[in-house]
Amino acid sequence: MNNPLVQVDPGLFIWTILTFLGLLFLLKKMAWGPLLKALDERQATIRKSLDDAQQAKVELERLNQESAQILAKARAEADAIVARSRSDAERLREEMKHKARAEAEGLTRNAERQIQLETQRALGQIRIEAVELSLSIASKLIKRNLSKEDNARLIDETLRQIDSQRN
Amino acid sequence: MAFQEHAAEVAEGAAEKFNAGATIIEHVSNSSHDHPLVHLPTIAGIDFSVTKHVLMLWLVAGAVLLLVSLAVRKFLKQDRLVPSGFMNALEAVVEYVRDSIVLPNVGTKWVNTWTPYILTLFLFILGANAVGLLPIFDVLGLLNHWVLHPSDESFLSRVVHGGSTATANFNVTAALASLTFGAIIVAGTKAHGFVKHWVNLVPKGLAAPIYIILIPIEIMGMFVRPFALTMRLAANMTGGHIAILSLLSFVFLFAEMFGRAAAGIGIGIMAVPMASLLSGLEVIVVLVQAYVFSLLTAVFIGMAIHVHH
Repeated sequence: MNNPLVQVDPGLFIWTILTFLGLLFLLKKMAWGPLLKALDERQATIRKSLDDAQQAKVELERLNQESAQILAKARAEADAIVARSRSDAERLREEMKHKARAEAEGLTRNAERQIQLETQRALGQIRIEAVELSLSIASKLIKRNLSKEDNARLIDETLRQIDSQRN
Repeated sequence: MAFQEHAAEVAEGAAEKFNAGATIIEHVSNSSHDHPLVHLPTIAGIDFSVTKHVLMLWLVAGAVLLLVSLAVRKFLKQDRLVPSGFMNALEAVVEYVRDSIVLPNVGTKWVNTWTPYILTLFLFILGANAVGLLPIFDVLGLLNHWVLHPSDESFLSRVVHGGSTATANFNVTAALASLTFGAIIVAGTKAHGFVKHWVNLVPKGLAAPIYIILIPIEIMGMFVRPFALTMRLAANMTGGHIAILSLLSFVFLFAEMFGRAAAGIGIGIMAVPMASLLSGLEVIVVLVQAYVFSLLTAVFIGMAIHVHH
């Protein structure tokens, strides 16, 4: 056939195959191989990053919950401690009050007894002194039977004497 | 040969009668083997001389190789694999071919085996198709005519002859389809073993007489597929160019018919915008045909790997 559009051209056919195979070989070695590998690796990296982010989010959620729990627990514990110390203080105060009251009562009782003892002792002394006084008055009367005026004067004198003795 | 000689005559003598057919054929067919760009010896009856289409194949292969490998090198040198500029587009193409053409057909097991082949095929055909749309050699022809005046035997004056779309030549597309033909056999053999691949061509468990019909049909089918690939690409690439050139020929035909330039310019007001529109359509055809060739290759390879009957 003379039409160049449909002319068989084995040389061109073979050149095409050689050119294409050469291009395929070079591109596969220099571009497609490393590129496809890099794209796969990048895909893996992106997937991993997303997974990691997701995991970090979950972890954060968990930590948040945990810290909230810890906080709530700590707050409850603090409340309990405050309540306990309040009750302890109450108890202590009550105890102290009791103790103080008991001590005060003891002191009072002691003092009363002391007073009683002193009173009794004083009464005893008075009694003794009265007896002595009577005796001395009697002896004086006996020693000197005096007039009525003398008698009165003598009693006065004696009483003064007792007074001065007391003071 | 007569066509080409006539075309050459037409191109040389502008004063002679304009022959639209010869001029158009001259613009879409390969340059003549009688005047190749580089004379190479004939081996076993095959003329290995470098013609226009061989040169175009080399230019396209070189451009694709340079662009792709430089972009990929630069991309891989970064510490973080964030594509930018040309690499963005290239990565989109690579991922589209891998994930939408190769993967659905050959499956995850073979995707990395066949993606380089399909990718190279796609970019090579796309490049060869697209270069045909650029009127670089026509610009060079104008330069030669008015500025450079090289001798007829020089490389520069020879290189302007012949069409620049290598994929419009069915010898080129037949070679590419033959590679696909081979790739189908390689894919089947890799997946199932050599013998099993051939056994897989026909379904199992049918009555014996049916095989008498089926085996020749399947063998025919094996050859029809690459033949269809060959013709589809070559015819599509030729057809669009012929349509554009025909429209542009109106300018010269009318000028000649009425004997005045005004007639040519008048028809040109309509013909040139139409040719521009067709060129726009050609951009789509260029993409679609590269896509179809790659997709069908992937489908055929996938059929050899996943046998369904």
